[in-house]
Amino acid sequence: MLITLKNWIQKENIKLQQQVSNWQEGLQIAGNLLLQNKSINPSYIDDMIQAVKQLGPYIVIAPHIAIGHARPGKNVIKDDISVITLKQPVKFGNQDNDPVNIIFTFCATEDSKHIHQLQQLAYLLEDNILLNTLKTSTNINEIFEVINQ
Amino acid sequence: MKTLQILAVCGFGVGSSLVLKMKIDEMLKEENIKAKVSTADVGSASSTPCDLIFTSKELAGKLSNTVKVPVISVSNFIDKEEIKIAGLHAIKNLL
Repeated sequence: MLITLKNWIQKENIKLQQQVSNWQEGLQIAGNLLLQNKSINPSYIDDMIQAVKQLGPYIVIAPHIAIGHARPGKNVIKDDISVITLKQPVKFGNQDNDPVNIIFTFCATEDSKHIHQLQQLAYLLEDNILLNTLKTSTNINEIFEVINQ
Repeated sequence: MKTLQILAVCGFGVGSSLVLKMKIDEMLKEENIKAKVSTADVGSASSTPCDLIFTSKELAGKLSNTVKVPVISVSNFIDKEEIKIAGLHAIKNLL
């Protein structure tokens, strides 16, 4: 059953139509939102980038959508999730799902606590209308509303 | 009959694999198949007892050398139809 989390992505954790020149920069910007929220230590962002370098671009889990994250642990202060959209898409090297124009990053303090947030995320990713709004919108208030509705 | 154990695997066992697990669960429910779906990271997957593994294309290559069970690769983790086409046959073979 879907447990609806109110405001599972906070308004300050959304940035729209960002300009980046590569996927690393995308993860950096999305990760910086978690950092500003004091949810992670700075090295968590490097961990996310390293994870893609070591394990491959599997974090592009669906067409045009990446979910960056690293291991739960010492660099995570609290569970959190952020999202950015890109003005121009970037390639992560994932043949099937590139190029990416929506990047989520999340951090979890332990293995299972963030499950409801990811559940919300999974439902969001199934909603093509919502995804299209997310891809094209320049209005954070609008996106905050539709994501959390 | 013992319950089928399915493992959804990603790099750390906490992100993509959790999303994948949700979609496998939904697919199994639609097909009326009872199975336990767990998540694991790519490092511990080979030492986690299971009957079948779902993972990404990238990780499937690494895993198929280290595990003895069938490894099903999925490129879109939220596409139930792809998960079904890729894995249902293998699941039914194990029942």
